[in-house]
Amino acid sequence: MTGFSDAELVALVLNGNVDSFSGLVRRHQDSCARFAVRMLGSRVDADDALQSAFMRAFRGLRGCKDPEHFGGWLYQIVVNECRTYASRQRRREQRFPSSSAAIEGAVAPGSEQEVDPDVGGHIERALSTLPTDQREAFLLKHVEELTYEEISEMTGVSISALKMRVKRACDALRGQLEGVYNG
Amino acid sequence: MADSFEAGDREAMDDQAFAERIAAPLRAPEQAHPSFEKRLMDRVRMEGPALYPAPGASPTSWWWTKRVFEMSPMKALAVAAGVAAIVGLSGIAVGTRIGNRGGEVARAISPTAKPDTIQLVRFVFVDARASSVELVGEFNEWTKGSTVLRLSGAPGVWAASVPLTPGRHEYAFIVNGTRWVADPLAVKSSDDFGTESSVIRVVKPGNSET
Repeated sequence: MTGFSDAELVALVLNGNVDSFSGLVRRHQDSCARFAVRMLGSRVDADDALQSAFMRAFRGLRGCKDPEHFGGWLYQIVVNECRTYASRQRRREQRFPSSSAAIEGAVAPGSEQEVDPDVGGHIERALSTLPTDQREAFLLKHVEELTYEEISEMTGVSISALKMRVKRACDALRGQLEGVYNG
Repeated sequence: MADSFEAGDREAMDDQAFAERIAAPLRAPEQAHPSFEKRLMDRVRMEGPALYPAPGASPTSWWWTKRVFEMSPMKALAVAAGVAAIVGLSGIAVGTRIGNRGGEVARAISPTAKPDTIQLVRFVFVDARASSVELVGEFNEWTKGSTVLRLSGAPGVWAASVPLTPGRHEYAFIVNGTRWVADPLAVKSSDDFGTESSVIRVVKPGNSET
């Protein structure tokens, strides 16, 4: 499936070759995983959210109006699904379990370890305390490096509101991480 | 004004620099679990043939013919033909309830009903050529084999009753162990991406909506 474009794989699926969906999964699963893990703070929850998001994408594949940009369409579904899961997390009042040895041992490790794990842990914990909308905006802007226009189109939130969310997220993170980074 | 602008500008640059320091470690790649693709594709292969049939694949069941049913489910049951699925409700504690089409529930409310009463929802599936019919949904975590419909007297009429809490539930049938069939008469879920799932909304006794 590596020789096919996204649009070709989508067309194959729509014409009954459902196994072709695996090519799309393989191509996009890791890029989606980063956002999901950062957003949900748990690889287990991220895995659930991604399974749900990819199935939504599969079921709604006819709704992908521009198969050449399947990745962006899928990413939008992933963002929405993560928002739903984050709300559930809030409802359950779950703490971020990213440092849980049991959970980490059950999932694939990241391929890079560039950061002092203590600092990374501080950042993840600080991130986990942000309201869902601020965390989402911060991640999309500064981690996924999307433009405000792209985020606005994806989330339906105005650019000014997104800027405010990112600003508030930065302020909150700065307050929490002052001791780590000294401002 | 100039001082104010410069102060604001400096602040924005500080924010940008700070955000960059925070974001850099978060940009480390993540990998999906090694079993992610297999688990997903198992579900895709189960649902796929019903969603995206291959060209030329001949339908093996009257499920696949487009029909419009005007008759009530009870009438349809009586004639045992022409109805894809009917969802009947009976309140465990509140007496008989009968649904019309999937998800659109007509209710006979008992004055003794309690708001949080669990509803016993009867799923009926009619297909004379089916050799087995199972029900999967959010209520059984989409677990194949956990809810098996039984022949209920009339030929080809399969039925099972499932206790459900008031609220929205998605479901589908699995025919002959492998074929995923969404209820063509049920209310469809309405998300932004064209996903069409079968939905039943179980109402609380005494309410018009859950």
